[in-house]
Amino acid sequence: MATTLEQPAPGARSAEEERLIALQKRDTRRKWFWRIAGYVVFLAIWQITSQIVGENLIPSPRRIIATFPELIESGRFFSSFAATLTRIGIGFGLSFLIGIALGIFTQSRWLDGFFKDAVTISLVSPGLIWALTGLVIWGFEPQGWIFAIVMTTFALVTVNVAEGIRALPKDLIDMSRAFGVSNMRRQREIVLPFLAPFIFTALRFGFSVGWKVTVLTEVFSSNEGIGFEMRVASQLFRMDEFFTWVLSFFVFALFLEKVVLQRYERKFFRWRTEVTA
Amino acid sequence: MATVVTTAPVQDRGLIRVVKSPTFARILFPFVVLAIWYLIYYTIDSRIFPPPQQVAEFMWDEITLSSGVRYSSVAENLYVQFAISIARLTIGFFVALILGTVIGLAMGISKAADAFFHDWVMAVLAMPALVWALFLGLALGFSHLGPVLAVIFAGLPFVIINVREGVRNTPKELFDMAQAFGVPSNKVTRHVLLPSLMPFFFAAIRYAYAIGWKGLVITEVFASDRGMGWTIKFWYDAHRAHGVIGYAIFFIIFAMALEKLVFDPLADRAFKWRPKIDAVQMAEGDFGAVSSEGFLLAESQEMEEGVPMRSMEGESSDG
Repeated sequence: MATTLEQPAPGARSAEEERLIALQKRDTRRKWFWRIAGYVVFLAIWQITSQIVGENLIPSPRRIIATFPELIESGRFFSSFAATLTRIGIGFGLSFLIGIALGIFTQSRWLDGFFKDAVTISLVSPGLIWALTGLVIWGFEPQGWIFAIVMTTFALVTVNVAEGIRALPKDLIDMSRAFGVSNMRRQREIVLPFLAPFIFTALRFGFSVGWKVTVLTEVFSSNEGIGFEMRVASQLFRMDEFFTWVLSFFVFALFLEKVVLQRYERKFFRWRTEVTA
Repeated sequence: MATVVTTAPVQDRGLIRVVKSPTFARILFPFVVLAIWYLIYYTIDSRIFPPPQQVAEFMWDEITLSSGVRYSSVAENLYVQFAISIARLTIGFFVALILGTVIGLAMGISKAADAFFHDWVMAVLAMPALVWALFLGLALGFSHLGPVLAVIFAGLPFVIINVREGVRNTPKELFDMAQAFGVPSNKVTRHVLLPSLMPFFFAAIRYAYAIGWKGLVITEVFASDRGMGWTIKFWYDAHRAHGVIGYAIFFIIFAMALEKLVFDPLADRAFKWRPKIDAVQMAEGDFGAVSSEGFLLAESQEMEEGVPMRSMEGESSDG
C-alpha cells in the first residue's frame, strides 16, 4: 500500500491496524447477525407451515426434538445406525478402493480408454437404477446393495484421483524413468504420496453420495437401518419419526463429512504448504 | 498421438498398434462387459437373471411398441413415459434456474445475504432426494407437482452455489476500472459480470439438470404413477429382471445422449471465446479421464481457487 510507505511511524500504523481490526469485528458481528436471522426466519417458516398444514404432515421443529429421546429409548436407534454404517463401510469401502485403482490406471492411456465409458456411465446415471438392478438380481443378499453402492460412487473417487494424476509433477516421473525405477516403485513412492490429498477429497465427495445411495438400498431391500426405518415411518404416516430419523442421520453424516474428515484432511497435510494454503 | 493408427510406418506392426490404442480399449470395454454378463448368467443361481439377448429383445419390443405392456391408463409406452419425465424435469429445472440465479446473485453480491442463506442452502444440498420423494409422496399424493418440486429442491442449491461462486470470481479490478471510467451499470453487467459468470452459470445448468434428473426418478418411484422412475419400479415390482435391466440401459442411454449431444457441444460453444489457460493440460488432453463432476464445483468454496475452473477447461477439451 502506498500510504504505509509514506508514514512508517509505529503510532500511525497501530491506529490503522486498530481501525482494520474494528472493521473486521464489525464484519464478523454483521455476518453472525444475518446468519442467526437466517436461522430464525427459516425455522419460523417451518413452524408456521407446520401449524397451517398440520403437525401430522409437517411436524414442527420442537416436536422433532421431542421425538428424538423416544427413538433412543426404543432401542432401535443405535442398532439402525450401526446397520447403516456397516453397509456404508463395506459398500463404500470397496467402492473407494476400486475408484482409487481406476484413478491410478488413468496414467496408462489404454486403461484410461478402457474404463472411460464406465466412469461416465456411473457419473451420469441415477443411483436408483443400480439399486433396483442389484436388488432384482441378488435380492436381499449383500451382493445386491454392494453392487448398487459401488456402481454409484466409484466414479466420483476415480474422477478426483484422476484430477490428481493430471497434476502429477512430470519431471519427477521423467527422472524416475531415466534412472530406471520400476513402475511399481514409482507408483508407491511418487504417485501415491502425491495423490494423498486428492484421495482425501475423493473420500469426502464419495462419502457424501455414498451414504445417500446406501439409505436408498435400505428402503428397497432391508429389514434394518435408517432407510428401512424411514420407509416404515412414512408408510405408517408417522411423520415425526420419519423426520427425526432423517435429520439425525443427516446431521451425523454432515458431521462426519464436514467436521471429522475435513479436520483430518487439514491435520494430515499440514506439512504440505501448497495443499493447505 | 497414439490414437492415429493408420499411419503406422511398418505394416506388420499395425495390428499391435491398433490393439495398443486407447480407442481400441474403449471399443473393447462393452464386449468385456458382455462377457462378464454371460459369465454371471452361467454361474448365478437365479431363475430370473436374463441373458443379454433377452434384455435386447425386451428393449427392442419396447422401442417398437410391440411388447404389448400397457403401463397405466394414461401413459402407455416408453415414449410417453419419457416425455412425461422430461416435461417435469424441464419445468422444475427452469424454476430452479430462475430462483437459484436470483438467490445466488444476492449471495454473491451481499455478504449479509450470504450469511443469511448459506447454511440452509448447504443443508438442502446435502439432503438425499429420497427424503423429498417419501415426503412429497405423502404430502401431495400422485401428482405432477411432487416430482416437479423434487427437481426444484434437488437442482436449486447447485444453481445457487455456482452462481454465487461465479459472482465471487469476477475480477474486482475490472469493476473498479469500469467505475473509474464511469461505465453505466447496465453495461458493466453485460460486459463484465455476465461473461465471467458464464462458465459457472453453465456448470449450474448442467449439474442442476443432471441432479434434477436423479432426484426426479427417485421421486417418481414413490410419488407418481407415471414417468420413467415409476416404470422401472413397475418392472422391479413385477420381479422381471430383464425389464429392470432394460430400463436401466434406457436410462444410461438417455443420460449419455444428454451429455454428449446437448451439454458437450454447448460447453464447447460457451467457452469458445476463452483462451485456453492450461496449454500443458491441453496437450495431455486425452490423458485425463472423464470430466470432473459438479460436486467439485458445488463445493469449490472449500477448495483452492481455480480448481473448478481448471477442471472445467479439461472437460471441454476432451470432448
